[in-house]
Amino acid sequence: MDLSVQQFRTKAEQEFLDLYTKAEKTLPGSKNPFVADLRKNAIATYARLGLPHRRIEAWKYTDLRAHLEDVYPLATPHRGTIGTNELEAALGKAIVAFSAYRLVIVEGELREDLSDMSALKDAGAEITSLAQALETPPAWLKETLSKAGPREDDAVFALNTALMTGGVTLRLPKGLTLDKPIHLIHLDGTGDPASMVTRNVIVAEEGTSATILESYGSLGMKELQRNAVTEIEIGDKAAIHHIKFQREAVETTHLGIWLATIGADARYDAFQVSTGALLSRNQIYVGFDGEGSSTEISGACLMRGRQHCDTTLIVEHRVPACVSRELFKVVLDDHARGIFQGKVIVAPDAQKTDGKQMVNALLLSETAEFDSKPELEIFADDVVCGHGATSGQMNEDLLFYLESRGLPEAEARAMLIQAFVGEAFECIDNETLREAFSGVSADWLGVSLE
Amino acid sequence: MLEIRNLHANVDGREILKGLDLTLPTGEVHAIMGPNGSGKSTLAYVLAGKDDYEVTEGSVTWNGVDLLALDPTGRAVAGVFLAFQYPMEIPGVATMTFLRSSVNAVRKARGQEELSTPDFLRVLKEKAKDLNIDVEMLRRPLNVGFSGGEKKRNEILQMTLLEPSLCVLDETDSGLDIDALRVVADGVNALRSPERSMLVITHYQRLLDYIVPDRVHVLSDGRVARSGGPELAMELEKSGYAEFGGEATAA
Repeated sequence: MDLSVQQFRTKAEQEFLDLYTKAEKTLPGSKNPFVADLRKNAIATYARLGLPHRRIEAWKYTDLRAHLEDVYPLATPHRGTIGTNELEAALGKAIVAFSAYRLVIVEGELREDLSDMSALKDAGAEITSLAQALETPPAWLKETLSKAGPREDDAVFALNTALMTGGVTLRLPKGLTLDKPIHLIHLDGTGDPASMVTRNVIVAEEGTSATILESYGSLGMKELQRNAVTEIEIGDKAAIHHIKFQREAVETTHLGIWLATIGADARYDAFQVSTGALLSRNQIYVGFDGEGSSTEISGACLMRGRQHCDTTLIVEHRVPACVSRELFKVVLDDHARGIFQGKVIVAPDAQKTDGKQMVNALLLSETAEFDSKPELEIFADDVVCGHGATSGQMNEDLLFYLESRGLPEAEARAMLIQAFVGEAFECIDNETLREAFSGVSADWLGVSLE
Repeated sequence: MLEIRNLHANVDGREILKGLDLTLPTGEVHAIMGPNGSGKSTLAYVLAGKDDYEVTEGSVTWNGVDLLALDPTGRAVAGVFLAFQYPMEIPGVATMTFLRSSVNAVRKARGQEELSTPDFLRVLKEKAKDLNIDVEMLRRPLNVGFSGGEKKRNEILQMTLLEPSLCVLDETDSGLDIDALRVVADGVNALRSPERSMLVITHYQRLLDYIVPDRVHVLSDGRVARSGGPELAMELEKSGYAEFGGEATAA
């Protein structure tokens, strides 16, 4: 007897399935049985789950099913000219200016002509475009892509696996220390609305040290639906700084997932700042697999108009004696909405865990909304865990103090907003990068501060 | 010249200033004294333009400029400087950055050339030295973790850098020990000039030993109850504010 229930699907939910059916034969790696199976399983997972909606606890404040009405076709690469002007318009001068190994992904495709592939190889890294790697995936890539984790119950992740076209695979061999950051630049394109599904897979082997910046900007596509996943495996004694800067056009839907696993005595610092997109969901999963490691996850989001920015963190202490710190700053104006969900899971034998979480929101208007949901699931008895959340308005007394010293109101406000988010920016270790980011809030406010 | 005529002001709907008249000629230093609640600090905030201090009647002009028509920034540009009784702590804003932004904002608005970073630092170091301020302190966030004396010296440093023509000092002596008081007073005295007027608000006569005023006004219930020469301060030191609605004991 067939007990399967015909599930109701929204238009967008069905369109994702159609998108897969249509592209199945042409997606990178479609001739490789491993990759083809991986995609098939993923789309089946998605078909079972559907798009996440508000009755799913983790998506309570971000109803993706209600938000997505249509699904746009996968982007077709146009290979347009992209020079410094285009990059600066998309990301701002400061972010483009600093020295890095640049990898540019446009319209869902790694543009080797714009990327420092050979320089990065010379520096000792193994770098391939995802599309190419999927045709004949090496063993380490297969291993990473086959791991379980959130793949099973995260529809966004499943869609990414089913439809991923572009991105990079990067392996930092044992002991490699990179002399400058890797800058992964993700751009849309121009022309009709499109979907872009990208995946970066990074394996940082034992004792490696690197800073990886991902930036997301717009060249002027009419509307973009982005699904961007980065998986990163951090080996024992490795130290990785992972930074994201998202300032896409305000029509964009941005679904981002970072999935990090950390070995022993290692360090993983993640920082994310968002000012763009209409709806953005930034999920960061971090799991400790080795003792004596630490992670610091921090960031800021600055939103206005009807922008919606959701930051959802899940940190899993699976082994003893690891430290996690989370600090986020949220600035909301007009009707903007900010969401922070921070889950910390401490496994039964993860004794001596030290986990702390803090989120502060600054509401610049009466109509802005901030929702915060800390979740601590602690199954061990010798741990230190804490969380805190505050939300408040601009302090008028501080504003008056600055104005009474001759600073125009807009500049005084900018200075206070910058000071508010500044604490989070302090978490960027790399001084050049921190400098480059120091202007983000001023840029958002449209004022220039010295 | 500062001219205050029939000034009425409310705070939280309660009338605090009730028809205050005061004339402060250019180049003079006047002290405002009075018991707690007589309206001294309210007057300071009204002059600087704080939002929740609502002027209901009267006028305030500074060299003919209607101060009440200007926002706090505009008043600073017009030459008004309020040294706060309780300077604000602003984590995340480096004191040095704040000072430079503020000085250049005012210079720009006054039509002067902005100072380059090296020029600014030169001026800053010189003025900071006069006030016994360690330049290292200026790298810290604005007033955060500063002692009471450091905060007040920082106020006077700002006053020196912004070159105001009307200085309002609100209880600058509060929380200062005698050595800090001397440094602050020296800083203020160094700014006395024929082009600059000062309004020194204080509860105690002590400060006026160091900053000797040309005239003393006693505030009572939102009005100037009595004016006189420096000797009036001495007299109040003996008799207290009893006759002005304050406590009977000597201040």
